[in-house]
Amino acid sequence: MDGMQGVQTAPAIPQAAPAYAMPLRRRRLLRGGLQGSEYAWAVAFCIPYIAIFFTFVVYPVAFGLWMGHNPHLYVELWQDPIYRISIVNTIVYLAVGVNLKLFLALLLSGFFMRKRLWIKALLVIYVLPWAVPSLPTFMSIHWMLNAQWGLIDNFLWNFFHIDGPAFLDTSRWLALGSVIAAYIWKFMPFWTVILLAGRMAIPQELYESADVDGASGLYKFTHVTFPLLANLYLVCTLLSTIWTLGDFITVFFVSGGGPALTTNTLATLGIRDAYTVAQPDLGVAAVMTALPLLIPLVLILMRKLRTAEVQL
Amino acid sequence: MSNLSRRSVLRGSVALAAAGSLGRPYIANAAAKTVTAWWTQGFVPEEDAAIKKLVAEYEKQSGDTIALSIIPFGPLAQKVVSALTSGNVPDVISYDGADGTVVPQNAWVDKVVDLSDIVAKYKAQYSPTVDLAAQFYNNVTKKRGYYIAPYKTTCVPFHVWGNLVKEAGYDMSQAPKTWDAWWDFFKPMQAKLRDKGHRGLYSLGLQITSTGPADGNNLFYAFVLANGGKNFVTPDGRAHFDDAQVREAVIKSIEYTSKAYKDGYAPPGVLSWNDADDNNAFHAQAILMDFDGTISTEVAMFHDKKRYYEESMTFGLPLGNDGQAVPAQVGAIGCFMPKGAKNEAAGKQFISYICEPKVANEYLKNGLGRWLPAMPSVVKSDPFWLDPKDPHRPPYVTEGLLRPSIPGFQIFNPGIAVANAQQIWGQMQSDVIRNGVSPKDAAEKGFKEIETILQNYKIVQS
Repeated sequence: MDGMQGVQTAPAIPQAAPAYAMPLRRRRLLRGGLQGSEYAWAVAFCIPYIAIFFTFVVYPVAFGLWMGHNPHLYVELWQDPIYRISIVNTIVYLAVGVNLKLFLALLLSGFFMRKRLWIKALLVIYVLPWAVPSLPTFMSIHWMLNAQWGLIDNFLWNFFHIDGPAFLDTSRWLALGSVIAAYIWKFMPFWTVILLAGRMAIPQELYESADVDGASGLYKFTHVTFPLLANLYLVCTLLSTIWTLGDFITVFFVSGGGPALTTNTLATLGIRDAYTVAQPDLGVAAVMTALPLLIPLVLILMRKLRTAEVQL
Repeated sequence: MSNLSRRSVLRGSVALAAAGSLGRPYIANAAAKTVTAWWTQGFVPEEDAAIKKLVAEYEKQSGDTIALSIIPFGPLAQKVVSALTSGNVPDVISYDGADGTVVPQNAWVDKVVDLSDIVAKYKAQYSPTVDLAAQFYNNVTKKRGYYIAPYKTTCVPFHVWGNLVKEAGYDMSQAPKTWDAWWDFFKPMQAKLRDKGHRGLYSLGLQITSTGPADGNNLFYAFVLANGGKNFVTPDGRAHFDDAQVREAVIKSIEYTSKAYKDGYAPPGVLSWNDADDNNAFHAQAILMDFDGTISTEVAMFHDKKRYYEESMTFGLPLGNDGQAVPAQVGAIGCFMPKGAKNEAAGKQFISYICEPKVANEYLKNGLGRWLPAMPSVVKSDPFWLDPKDPHRPPYVTEGLLRPSIPGFQIFNPGIAVANAQQIWGQMQSDVIRNGVSPKDAAEKGFKEIETILQNYKIVQS
């Protein structure tokens, strides 16, 4: 009620004191048109959100920046051969893992568009790896790949009487490949569902017109499906790259960064430096070095999200 | 509702803030006798029950409250580092890996409380090595102090499946008395046992790991000591990498361990084993023998009487390759107190209580003797520790408290703690195995990397 009265009396002010009209208007504008206790209530209701934002977003980020502000940390990092290996691993993990995952998801989303009942049932099973908790999943994969007593090793021995390969034990690339395979298996279902939703939004009339023109399946994919999904696909790639850059669980629980620390990514190296080496500032610095890649990705994503409103 | 105005909201907020700040000291005073304590979870339930019993008895005697949190080893390590970084610390921490990295590094920067007043009460009773191992260098005060109040200690014994040794046609009484020969003794058993159906069994639990935190370093330094490299770092904090004997010891150690791996006597996965992986492998009889700190391996099988009493065996250290006794690496394990602890006096009182010989002894016995008392007089006076009916405790006690011993090298210089945390020697051994680097070059690279770290840890006064 107070607020409504305030709104009714407001127009009288410029007439009474024209000299103060502009500042008052500006003040009102700054207050979003709210007056008196209305404004106080608005502020009171906003304070908890602002406090939470500062406590859980601004403060941790600022604290992280403060911890990683010493240039000496970056010199120390660069001198560490494990850090240089971790950068290469991060790039390979992102380039191969994200792109292969999304390309396969794109293909599979086409398969799951089919309207047969068994395919719908299969989709439910297919989504399960993504639905189950990550930690036990990756620990199971780690044990499964164990060269001494893992599931694959036992299977090969029992059926073919040969020892299984040492997936995680000696070869960097075999171990990193195992990590990427586990990552794709775990997260591909999610992106398949997203792309499936994208495909479902494409008007069927377009395919019908293509059919009338005698277009083949491949032609329809390259000239109808992909152009219309391209923006969504790009957004998915950017988003997935950002998430994967901070992915700690997959690498840590599948390879543990081994053999001999050769499969660490920046995320796992940061945790190792912070807690195992007990140098939290060095760990933060390791993660900070991902920012030159992360910030442009976020900016491009924001731009693409704006255009995604008008395109599919 | 209609009476609420901006001024009344502001007035109310100010009143609430004032009431909060005036009320706080009263609450803080009321809680002054509550000590927050973080404790490492045991490997067996008996260890956790033992600390809970101790705390209950202390609370009854003192009237204080101990807010005890029992946390697994790995997460506790992270929690401790986070607490020391943020400044939001508990009053007392008993983290079993504290002497490895956390305390050497935080004593250096003066972030932990000097507990010399507590240690002074029991100093005469501590083993000389434990006494030395509890002292760390503070780079702010430029002197050493007791930053751990030890109530227990440990060493690294050998764990052997005696039944498998017999099955392979050998007897442990035939085992050679010197270091390399001792390890070699187990090698031929691997093929014999595999022929008898133990597929996937390896003879050596040789932890050439870069993961850590402790086992790979313990193994490597044991080899260095057995090869005569006891002056690797001396108690004054100086490294002696230019000492020919130290260099030779390091090269020989890398040579032996990497060759044993390449010859196929250790599981391929050891390069990335963490501190629990060898225990798991031993329990699964995937390795014939292991070299691992404490007798946690055996204590975990305590309720399986056949395995504990008949099948598994524990051994102290053989002689070095020169026929001389190899000193055991002994740690000072106990409580430390971060600076900023809210109840320092009450916390110290609690720590002092745990360190009392009788209290510590009962606590450690209730934990099935996984850890050793820090005082030799205790094991000599209480028959529990040298009970000949127990196949594990007497050799463990003898190695840790009754034979020559030295502290871990990281006690002498926190730079070694950093090098150990980075698993530099694990990486060097791995370089030889995976990249074909020669042991000599790997040793040189290791020395160089550690020397670079030590540039940041110059001990001014010992």
